[in-house]
Amino acid sequence: MNVIPIGPINPIFKEPIRIKLIVEGEVVLGAEIEMGYVHRGIERIMEGKHYLKGVHLAERVCGICSYIHTQTFVECIEKISDIEVPDKARYLRVIVTELERLQSHLLAVSMYGMAIEHETLGIWCLNIRERVMDLLETITGNRINMGYNVVGGVRQDINREMLESIYSTLDSLEEDVKDIMEIFKKGPLISLRSKGIGVIGYREIMKTRAVGPVARASALPESDWRLRHPTYKELDFKPVWTEEGDNYARSLVRLKEIFTSIELLRRALELYEESGGMVRKKVDIKGGAGEWRNEAHRGEVTYKISITDGGIIKRILIRSPTVMNLSAYKYMLKTCPTVSDAVATYVSIDPCVSCTERSIVLLDRRTGEVKPYFK
Amino acid sequence: MIKEFFRKRSIHACVVNTGGCNGCDIEILTLIASRYDIEQYGIYIHNNPREADLLIVTGPVTLPWKDRLKELYEKTPEPKVVIAVGACALSCGIFKEGHVCGPVDRIIPVDGVIPGCPPRPAQIIEAILKVVPTSIAEREKVIKEEISQ
Repeated sequence: MNVIPIGPINPIFKEPIRIKLIVEGEVVLGAEIEMGYVHRGIERIMEGKHYLKGVHLAERVCGICSYIHTQTFVECIEKISDIEVPDKARYLRVIVTELERLQSHLLAVSMYGMAIEHETLGIWCLNIRERVMDLLETITGNRINMGYNVVGGVRQDINREMLESIYSTLDSLEEDVKDIMEIFKKGPLISLRSKGIGVIGYREIMKTRAVGPVARASALPESDWRLRHPTYKELDFKPVWTEEGDNYARSLVRLKEIFTSIELLRRALELYEESGGMVRKKVDIKGGAGEWRNEAHRGEVTYKISITDGGIIKRILIRSPTVMNLSAYKYMLKTCPTVSDAVATYVSIDPCVSCTERSIVLLDRRTGEVKPYFK
Repeated sequence: MIKEFFRKRSIHACVVNTGGCNGCDIEILTLIASRYDIEQYGIYIHNNPREADLLIVTGPVTLPWKDRLKELYEKTPEPKVVIAVGACALSCGIFKEGHVCGPVDRIIPVDGVIPGCPPRPAQIIEAILKVVPTSIAEREKVIKEEISQ
């Protein structure tokens, strides 16, 4: 029995994490995951700050899914102090979230393509993603960390030219993603490297509470929190799911979700054009505590906030999806014949480490005590 | 002579995320897309510090990274150049009050900085092309003089 340490700097990882693979020859038996490289203590910084600063800090929890974090933060405060957001702002939020989901899923498929040594697929997906990033830039003003949400609405309206450019780009995008879908289904290398590898079933999903595309690929469509969101109920959203639960199914779910996102975007744009009024509303914050959940691109994200009357944050708790998916990763390793398959499986759950590292605890091995990292 | 000329045109880069929010890393990752295509300038991103000429550091230095970053810098063979990308690597940015031990230049010497949260891909390419070839050549000269003495 040998141990192969991977990381924290590795060609395959975007972010620092250390995985110790326990192997016997080429067969992977298990894994230990070491984290703590990206912990910055965002919740601690937020305590005692005004909620307007909190929005910007929540954005920097993660760079890929920065918008959905601000949306969850803002909607949680709106729920606590009973603020009704104008219709236009609600649809604009859906539009930006779904555009961000498009770029995140395209990036995930491209990274998986790179991990199974199919670089052509990876570069194609990255090229398509650039067009989505252009749309995000025209709407919000920045590619990543957009700063678009405020409590009570969004910062800016969009105009006629932007609407037309969104419509035309969505049409061309759909055709290109259809091409990629065909390549993904017919390409011999992709199915050879990914079918039947990293399988996770219903029982293990319930044991580890995995969320997002990982759960949806193992026949759990009700794990999608967009089903319970009030705005998505108007857009009659239907989740995508498959049964196999292997690497291939996870990437296929992401590709299929791109099509549902494009449909949702079209419907939201129609409803946006019908609605009128302002995009932002004057608010006054009432004190209290509350909780709000949203479907981020990797699974459900939870914000639990308690806030005072003036809008000072007392305590905040963030729960992000990758924690559960990483513990599901240990069960996937049973069906990974080689080390390179284990690495590809790690990429297929689309981990986001800077979301994950929300707290550090020290385990004293001698006494078995668990202490906080900082007193 | 020929070796010096080609050295300017073949740079191996290693991206080190020392605790950033991932935004800068994604912008560096998009550099390999056909629109920016960093490989046409002879820069190859492959994340192996033992072969790298250029360390691209993003994010504030968190507590577990303090010793690791020093080790990583020592592992990288001379001549080497360090570029800090993003507001966090410059001055810790928004995480100044968090569990971090300072900007990158407090831990290792830094040759170039790119401000922005995150900087655009075109800016990153421009900065790398301006700073890296000249400073690698200068560094190589200094090392040669030291050896001859």
